Amino acid sequence: MPLELNETTATLSDVVTVDEVEPLVAWLRATPKGKVNLRRCNHLHTGALQALLLFQPKISSAPANAFLAEQVLPLLAGSGGATSRPESEPP
Amino acid sequence: MNPLLAQFLAEAADLLTQVDEGLLQLERDPGDPELVNEVFRAAHTFKGSSGLFDFPELTRLTHAAEDLLDAVRGGRLNLDSGMTDDLLAAFDLIRGWLAHVTQHERLPASAGADAAVLITKLRGPLGGDATTPVAEKAPVVHVIAPPPEWLRHFDTEWLDETATWLTTTASTLRFARYAPDEGCFFRAEDPVHLISQVPALAKMAVVPPDEWPTPEGYDEYTCLIGFVLAARAAHGELDYLFRYVPDQVEVVELDGDAVRRFLNGEVAEPAPASAGEPEPAAAEAQDPALVHDAYALLTAAQSSLRTEGVGGARLASIAHSVSAAAAALGEITELADLNAEELTETVNRLLGSTPPPPPPPAPIERPVPEERIDRGRADDPGGQVGTKILKVDQEKVDHLMELVGELNVAKNGLTFLADSAEEEFGSRVLGRRIKDQYSGLHRIAEELQASVMDIRMLPLSVAFSRFPRLVRDLSRRLGKNIELVMEGEDTMADKDVIEALGDPLVHLVRNSLDHGIELPDERTAAGKPAQARITLSAVADGDAVVVEIADDGRGINPMKVKRKAYEKGLISEEELEAMGDAEAVELVFRAGFSTADQVSDLSGRGVGMDAVRASVEKLGGTVTMKSEFGTGSVTRLRLPLSMAVTQVMVVSVAGQRFGIPVDLVVETVRVPGGEIGRVLHQDVVVLRGEVVPVIDLARALQMPWTPDETADRRILIVSLQGQRVGLLVEQFHREVDVILKPMEGLLAYADEFSGTALLGDGLVLLVLNMKEVLGLAARAQ
Repeated sequence: MPLELNETTATLSDVVTVDEVEPLVAWLRATPKGKVNLRRCNHLHTGALQALLLFQPKISSAPANAFLAEQVLPLLAGSGGATSRPESEPP
Repeated sequence: MNPLLAQFLAEAADLLTQVDEGLLQLERDPGDPELVNEVFRAAHTFKGSSGLFDFPELTRLTHAAEDLLDAVRGGRLNLDSGMTDDLLAAFDLIRGWLAHVTQHERLPASAGADAAVLITKLRGPLGGDATTPVAEKAPVVHVIAPPPEWLRHFDTEWLDETATWLTTTASTLRFARYAPDEGCFFRAEDPVHLISQVPALAKMAVVPPDEWPTPEGYDEYTCLIGFVLAARAAHGELDYLFRYVPDQVEVVELDGDAVRRFLNGEVAEPAPASAGEPEPAAAEAQDPALVHDAYALLTAAQSSLRTEGVGGARLASIAHSVSAAAAALGEITELADLNAEELTETVNRLLGSTPPPPPPPAPIERPVPEERIDRGRADDPGGQVGTKILKVDQEKVDHLMELVGELNVAKNGLTFLADSAEEEFGSRVLGRRIKDQYSGLHRIAEELQASVMDIRMLPLSVAFSRFPRLVRDLSRRLGKNIELVMEGEDTMADKDVIEALGDPLVHLVRNSLDHGIELPDERTAAGKPAQARITLSAVADGDAVVVEIADDGRGINPMKVKRKAYEKGLISEEELEAMGDAEAVELVFRAGFSTADQVSDLSGRGVGMDAVRASVEKLGGTVTMKSEFGTGSVTRLRLPLSMAVTQVMVVSVAGQRFGIPVDLVVETVRVPGGEIGRVLHQDVVVLRGEVVPVIDLARALQMPWTPDETADRRILIVSLQGQRVGLLVEQFHREVDVILKPMEGLLAYADEFSGTALLGDGLVLLVLNMKEVLGLAARAQ
């Protein structure tokens, strides 16, 4: 199961496909202060990345996957990403 | 612009629409062979036409599209939506190119690279014959492009480091922008996955949407973000990875210098968003105009501070303007509480730290690398292909013409109203004012009519265009060597005339080819050059257009024509004896006449020339023929420029008014009743030594009228087929321009009238068909 959702934390593991995007977005909507654990995530679908960019949840745990850690994690706010996105204020 | 190119662009716009519609329909109904054929034909036409110009990429791309469509048409391939996408993309790209061509008369610089990608895709389903385009595009892509503005999405610090590193190592990086379309998730595309596969990815950044939606309105299945990435992967690797989405990816190769140039603010289009980003470059890249203004402001403040006695409100206002100038120069200073001395010091400091700016006009225009523009335009779908040409249904123009006619009629009614205002109601002032109104209306109506007529005008080249081919084909078949010369193709005439001219012209040219022109041997024997010449020419002559078909063939033998006509019973023995050569030539227009010794499949069925005369006369024109035996013949068609408005002369008989086309009218005469003679039951009048038969129009039309014995007879002389005929009428009226409506319905049988027209006073004018009227008169006697 690539997606484990509980009250405060969403755990994304292995390959997050487009099928997981909808429940993830629903959870992010319902959980404004949720945290996302990406430790065992190996791939993040663009839709999921886009959702994380929009809702900007706190990333509680950095991914182990090299590509995600090096390239994707810096993009996600709250993890010290340098790219500024003035338009993407959290709601 | 080259007229050929202009025409190509105008046609291309139509073809593109056709292709788009066809492809979209095909997607819905993939099995329809007619649709495939239609799209194929459009692509084929495109390819053919593009070959005329120096657009090799266009030709190559359409060729690839055509090959794919050909395979589909031949049933070797089933069109799937991927192929449709590729085809649509190809034609979209072409649309972008043509918009560029419309403006610059050449393809955008990026055309080769863009085409290569699509060609590879289009050829894919056919078994990939992609080697040539790939080899060709190689030099095009590997240029170090000027820095694109989307570099701003990268971390500035990283860019700075990278620029230094690239400069130090004299190497390059491939930068790409990937803008997935909104619906890409539905096509199982995952941009992040694609990017994660890029070998030796150096950096990736997200291009956020212009505006993030609210969480409530967020559609998780719409892809809003794009990406920029930098990679050490080779071009080929990037091309391969992004082979399914080439139109969404832009790859440039940049060296350290280029990145540095970007950091220094040199981009093709200055990005408005960059001001808000914490880039050190942004602060330096100030608007030169602003700097200039600030500098001027500071200089002014300096000089006013030098004058003594500055204080109070004056000082505060200077302080205010100085702080505004300082802000423009990037320094935030709080000056409101300073006294004059401190303020002067600040101004001096600011002026000292700011170099005097160059004069403003120069720095505003930043040199924009040309290729950059090209690239931008290439994929701009909103461009205009070709000049704006409206295609309007002919019926609409005809309707407009009718309305103009009715406007004329309504307008003419005003003069009658003016008269009755004067006569019936005794108000001369009102009558004059109505007439003033009338003249204004008249001018507008005239102009309106002229412009509607102008819309209907076409050059004669439309009618001539088929002849080069016709002459070439026929001369081959007949073994004759013929040169076709066309003159005055740009003479304009009404489209009805042009269209109606087509068939008679074909008859005449065929006749010349078949009967007029001799075989080469025969020509050489007669001392003529072996190559014959047919000249088609058109000239405008007043309100008529004269079209001539001339050949230098054998001409018409008047003796042979006369004998033939006699044998066929077309002329009597007396006529045979008395007929002059010129008249004999005219015999070829008689029905049932054909001089060719044997009937060929080209012409010579004996319907040719009389059919020509009939159709030209129907247009209100005339045909004449001159021929010199042995040296050639000339057929001259004289046609009205426009058939929409006819000028008629109004006459009245037995109180009823009739119209007679002015073209036919020679003169109007009044002769005393006694001068009308009678020869063989026919009234005649002698005019300048010529005996002219006179027809009583009232009797011919069976209207009861007896001319007043004492008064002069009014006779209208008309010329019909070279013969003069007098018409006895009651009264002459003026000439009027009318819009002739054909006789329809219950009146259709009345051949003696060629149509009806409405006059300004509301009366219906019957326009006479003189030929039929003469026939009626002959029968009445």
